[in-house]
Amino acid sequence: MTGAWLLRRLVASVAIIFAVVTFVFILIHAAPGKPCGGQSENVDPAVCDQLNRQFGLDRPIPEQYWRYIVALSHGNLGYSASLRRPVAEAIVETIPFTLQLAGAALLLDFLLGLGLGIYQAGRVNRLPDVIIGNATLFIYSLPTFWLALLLLLIFGEKLGWFPVGGASDPVLCAVVDSVYCLKDRIWHLVLPAATLGLVGAAGTARFQRAAMLDVATQDYVRTARAKGLPERRVVLRHQLRNALLSFITRFGLAFPFLLTGAVLIETIFAWPGMGRLAFDAILTRDYSLVTATALVASTMVVGGNLLADILLGLADPRLRVRAGADVEALTA
Amino acid sequence: MTLGTWFALFIALVAAAEFVRALRRRAIRQERWRRFFRHRTTTWGLGILAFLIIVALAAPLIAPFDPNRQLDIVHLKNQAPSWTFLFGTDVLSRDVWSRTVYGARVSLGIGALGALLAVSLGTLVGALAGYYQRWVDAVLMRGVDVGLALPRIFILLMAVALWDGLPFAALVLAIGLTSWFGTSRLVRSEVLSLRQRDFVVAARALGAGSGRVIFRHVLPNAAAPIIVSAALGVGNVLLLEASLSFLGIGIKPPDPTWGNMIADNASSIYTAAWSTLFPGLAISLVVMSLNAVADGVRDALDPRADAP
Amino acid sequence: MLRRFHLTPIIVLAVAALAGCERRGGCTGPYCGTLIDAAVAEPPTLLPPSTENIVANDIGEQLFLKLADVGMSTNTVGDEDFQPLLAQKWEWDGPLTLVFHLDPRARWQDGQRVTAADVEFTFDAYTDSTVGSPFRPKLHRIASVTQRDSLTAVFRFKEKYPEMFYDAVYHMRILPAHLLRAVPRDQWTTAAFGRQPVGDGPYRFVRWQAAQSIELVADSTFFLGRPGIRRLIWRITPDLQVAVQQVIAGEADIREQLVTPDNVARARAAGLSLYPFRGSVYTLLDFNLRASDDTTKPHPIFADRTLRRALSMAVDRASLVKSALGDLGKVPPGPMSELLGIWDPDIRQVPYDSALAARILNGQGWRDHDGDGIRDKDGQPLAFHILVPTSSVLRRQYARLLQEQFRAIGVHVEIDELEPSVVSQRVATGKFDTAILSRQNDPSPSSGIAQSWTRAGFGGSNFGRYYSADFEQLVDRAVTATSRDQARALWRRAMETLNADAPGIFLYSLQNVGAVHKRVENVQFRPDSWAALLRTWRIPPEKMIDRDRVER
Repeated sequence: MTGAWLLRRLVASVAIIFAVVTFVFILIHAAPGKPCGGQSENVDPAVCDQLNRQFGLDRPIPEQYWRYIVALSHGNLGYSASLRRPVAEAIVETIPFTLQLAGAALLLDFLLGLGLGIYQAGRVNRLPDVIIGNATLFIYSLPTFWLALLLLLIFGEKLGWFPVGGASDPVLCAVVDSVYCLKDRIWHLVLPAATLGLVGAAGTARFQRAAMLDVATQDYVRTARAKGLPERRVVLRHQLRNALLSFITRFGLAFPFLLTGAVLIETIFAWPGMGRLAFDAILTRDYSLVTATALVASTMVVGGNLLADILLGLADPRLRVRAGADVEALTA
Repeated sequence: MTLGTWFALFIALVAAAEFVRALRRRAIRQERWRRFFRHRTTTWGLGILAFLIIVALAAPLIAPFDPNRQLDIVHLKNQAPSWTFLFGTDVLSRDVWSRTVYGARVSLGIGALGALLAVSLGTLVGALAGYYQRWVDAVLMRGVDVGLALPRIFILLMAVALWDGLPFAALVLAIGLTSWFGTSRLVRSEVLSLRQRDFVVAARALGAGSGRVIFRHVLPNAAAPIIVSAALGVGNVLLLEASLSFLGIGIKPPDPTWGNMIADNASSIYTAAWSTLFPGLAISLVVMSLNAVADGVRDALDPRADAP
Repeated sequence: MLRRFHLTPIIVLAVAALAGCERRGGCTGPYCGTLIDAAVAEPPTLLPPSTENIVANDIGEQLFLKLADVGMSTNTVGDEDFQPLLAQKWEWDGPLTLVFHLDPRARWQDGQRVTAADVEFTFDAYTDSTVGSPFRPKLHRIASVTQRDSLTAVFRFKEKYPEMFYDAVYHMRILPAHLLRAVPRDQWTTAAFGRQPVGDGPYRFVRWQAAQSIELVADSTFFLGRPGIRRLIWRITPDLQVAVQQVIAGEADIREQLVTPDNVARARAAGLSLYPFRGSVYTLLDFNLRASDDTTKPHPIFADRTLRRALSMAVDRASLVKSALGDLGKVPPGPMSELLGIWDPDIRQVPYDSALAARILNGQGWRDHDGDGIRDKDGQPLAFHILVPTSSVLRRQYARLLQEQFRAIGVHVEIDELEPSVVSQRVATGKFDTAILSRQNDPSPSSGIAQSWTRAGFGGSNFGRYYSADFEQLVDRAVTATSRDQARALWRRAMETLNADAPGIFLYSLQNVGAVHKRVENVQFRPDSWAALLRTWRIPPEKMIDRDRVER
């Protein structure tokens, strides 16, 4: 990985984030519906006018855009009209929750999916493979909110194993400051992460199985077998590493969804993450909050992708830096 | 369900079975078809898909009730399945079976068209990026990155706000235009690895133009992941439509889609599970059948079996 | 061998740590208890004049006192049924002057005494247009509020009318002048005080975890009596179903509105105590009497009174309520909820008679000339749009029910389900045909009715721009009527006049059912504000559960 490559990627990343923010800015301002009077239906129009003037919403859009960029360059993310607090504060508070949910879901996705995929590939077309294959397909085809409501009913209400929504025990653990509260947070995390993770794991399992079967017939595996190496080792070393690589690639695709697309899950489980924040902001036309969320989310995504590509480069020697322009094409 | 509708349903079943049988007869003569039908699940998948499509097309004959008629909002609300109401009634006393049958039209339509749009666009962009590399690749992939970094729900919500309630075409377009990014990356990586292979090099050495190389040599060999992507894509579109309906975005009422049936009856999940169960099962059925068929197609197109 | 020997204690320790060394508190006695309310919305601010948000009001009830408050009867006429709060006693000093004597025991949480200067300051803030309080229009009949001395506040009115006392005490929560005087008036909606309020009520603010919970703790020295429940927590759960589930699962204690019959059945089956109380919300299908693209022109359909009446007759409101709400709703006899004292099922309304409706439409020339099932006249189909916000499941259900009701008499309806902010904007600017709106009533009809159905509400909440000179005259007389009976009779006539004009179809008034954990005793739900009497609830020591005992 040359420094030049890294620099190019960083510049490209900044350009992407900039493009995303601009696109979202234009789109949210173009959408009908004004921010004021959004929640209640009885707001004095004079108050709305005053608020609009206060937030500079009566200026033409290009001017608003320019002011926004200038403010951004000073690190000022603006003020949220719907939450009545600085945008930065509101977003920063949701980031740990979002990362916890995304992280737990990805972990479950990876471990379970990989495990199932390998297990299946080892018993191709026999009964366990068929059963698991159909089960994963079935889970993959369920609407997430339906699964969420079902899990809540069974494990939350009926069995009482896990809490019914929320991120923590409001009485004892409004702040996570002890081991007990850590356990409490994890317990609250289980159901929402399971909903997201199960569906993800089903997809990963299918993918892994296909990938591993593909690899199994490839030359280097046959060579290894011909050389008399033990089957186990062949599987574990080559196929596992390729599985990891493809998972890292897929992670790049899944990350944006987990950040802001998990709105339904966050709403149903009352999980205070960025998805819900962004969604409510769009509904109430809270311009600064919408663009700021897009900014933060796209930064995390782009950063995550960059990290993934670096990891890929490290892990797979075939993708590593070689002289020539193929490099960027391969790792970009 | 009346005698007439039962009969129509029976005919649909028979027609689907005959269709599959006709295709299997081909398998006797052609190698490709034989590979296609190698697994039993493919046959079943094909049959179920054919059945669902026939049912969708023949909906007026198979559905005993007008799908939007509220039969009796006080007395026939949330009725359990019975001989009259095969799948029961929903919260507005509409026949769930009729709505599921008619809903197949819209859902399959949205699913097919949305996935088609997404996969076509994704394949095109991915193939171009993977084949031409250098700056074409760089520009296209940056665009894909922007698309991927943008949360889909954002775009869809705001796109919806610009229309006043989505007509069918707009929904398909919106879903298709926001779902192709993943496919493009997939296709790109396939094309990247394929373009070094012997047969591609040979084709180019023989003077074949880029377009010909891409479409006749590279893409068919990359077909497997594209097809899997398309099959899963339909399922994704159907599920996305359900989630959007849950958020209040979707086909205008009262027209049924499987997705908006689930969403509208989500509050009755604990007391009248059938109104969400059957459309949900329908979606699952479509996803599973498509997958089985996709597996079959992939086997049929397996280049390794063709290669010397 | 050695490795295994050392591993075990580590595992044991880890398990023990994770098994949860719960902080088992030691609160005993009758003043313990933690109640969690499963709230479905988060307030934007806790500064009372800056928001009408319901949860903000519920929390405000615990933090800030009014001078006096309505009793369980919610009677707003005169002053006999009012309970003293901040004001210990009051008297009339002439027909237009009301004098309040504050309770000298009242204290702000920072120790300062509550004085008449606070009352004067509060009135000034509530009526300041820069603050832009939604309560401002309700105070327009009060001329001034001044302090005679530190414990005496004097209210002067512009005119005499039966609800003078109600207007003086109900709308304002007294604010601490010494803490808010320095905050610029145009920044009140975003003031930091709104996120860390300091009040004089039975409870003190503890913390607000954004998007998660708001916590209050009891003030044991509260001068009107120590609250029975030590800690109150509002837990924010946006999905109503999940909020109900939390109460059923015992993770929350209160759900003040169950909304659907299914939820009521589930709550009952789970052993929760149910408390029905008159609802303060009613929902209507509002007709826009002006053209949707130009408010100066009449609407092609809804400007015609006969057409409006015919369309109203075509809707079987009773069946709709039965289907969607079961026992939890009633058909309102006008634009009112059951909370209002003027509720009277005998008020004359447009009857349900679809045959008559069809005949009227035929008579007006609306017939199905082209056989497509939709009536038309001069080539134009009888069709319109219903606007409904996506945020309300119940209203969306109603939109579908109405669509079918209209289809049965040959009227084509399209449903526009849009986000709440878009609906608000369209409705405020008159860009709609009809819209399904929900209105929250105060215990008195005086302010709400005027705002929504008279010319004073044009550009405000009279979205459909209904105007009737007769109606306005009757309302004026009703509001200033000297006796309660006279007022009732006048309101009845006014409602009948409005009903006859059919400016909308009044769909349902919600009957609320609240669910509370069965260990809580002395539960009272005041219909206009369920949380007003929270401080009187009790948990007997023998029924305490774990979270009641926690001491922090």
